[in-house]
Order: sequence, then structure tokens, then C-alpha cells
Amino acid sequence: MILQLDTIFQHQFKVDDSVYDGFINTFDDQNSLHINDEFAQNKGFKSKVMHGNILNGFLSYFIGELLPTEDVMILSQAINFKNPVYLNDILNFEAVVSEQSEAVQVNTFKFKFVNAELKTVASGKIQIKELT
Amino acid sequence: MNKDEILGKLTTIFHEELDNDDIVLSFETTADDIEEWDSLSHIQLIVAVEKAFKVRFTSSEIQSWNNVGEMIDCIIAK
Repeated sequence: MILQLDTIFQHQFKVDDSVYDGFINTFDDQNSLHINDEFAQNKGFKSKVMHGNILNGFLSYFIGELLPTEDVMILSQAINFKNPVYLNDILNFEAVVSEQSEAVQVNTFKFKFVNAELKTVASGKIQIKELT
Repeated sequence: MNKDEILGKLTTIFHEELDNDDIVLSFETTADDIEEWDSLSHIQLIVAVEKAFKVRFTSSEIQSWNNVGEMIDCIIAK
């Protein structure tokens, strides 16, 4: 296995205008919660809430760009959204190799995104296969 | 656990991993018998089976199995 059990990966992501605009321009999810501050505030949020699936894009970056090998593919991922993410939030991402299967060259990561207030905004598991 | 108990537990794993509660496993079942059992889902099945039974397989063991019964024999031998 290229990856080692318990190895920790860390990265910082910023949900800036380019990420936000890029997501909307690509997927056209213009739900009021995501584009209208007043609507979001009336629902109890500080301001418009970023799309949760932006974080899935960050997971793609993690697997595709931050691992020590490009010979990987995602088999599955599960994410639980725990707190809202707002525009310009800086998220500290951490993932640890929590399980491995030598037989099929599969690594499972536990991951979490934590905001500047030290609140976990999302956590989950992502399973990848090392390609040989 | 005896073979039938393992088969029952494997059936639950197959239902969850392949997202199909209609799958009926027998000792003779092969991947050709189950539409959802393809090369990628096979990998996830192996990972789930290893976790559920707290065993570790080798790649040669996996490749030697011809049906579910041989998978069960391998689990028992661990």
C-alpha cells in the first residue's frame, strides 16, 4: 500500500467568490438560501449559506491533488453536514487513514472540515482504491 | 459461526453494499448471478466483509474464490 494507516493529511480551504460563483455557474443551484442574505437570515442564519456540495469539491481536490500518488480513484464518500458554511469562511480540513484492505488496495479516510470558530461544519468517510 | 450463519450475515452485507434487499445468496452464488456485483462493488464487498468478520484476506485468496461458498470457507479458515 502506498498510504500508511493513521497517516494524517491537513489542508486549508477558503470558500471565496471564485469557488462560490464557479459552483453556481456550473450547477445553477440558485436556491434562495444560497443566494439571498435576507432569506437566509429569516431562516436563522448569519447570511447566505454556501452549498454543502462545495465541500465535496474540496474532497475531490484532496484525493486528486493532495495524496502522495495520482494512482487513486474514489469508490465512495459520505458526508454529514453539521454547521453552515458562509462566504469567505476558511475551513481547516483533516483526514486520517482509518482503515485499509491490503487485498483490494482500499483505504478509508475519516475526514472533517472545521471553521475558524472551531466548529466542525462537516465530517464523513471517503473510500479510495489505489490503482496498480 | 457455522456456514449458514455466515451466509446470513453475508446476505445482509450484500443487501447493504449492493443496495438491493432482494438478493438471495446461496453457497453456489457467483458474481454472474447478481447484476449489481461488478468489479467495483466487489471491492467494496470485500472491504465490508473484512470489517464485519474482523478478518483480512490476501489478493490470492480473493482470486481463488469461485462462489460465495468458497468465500465462506475462507472466512471460517481465518
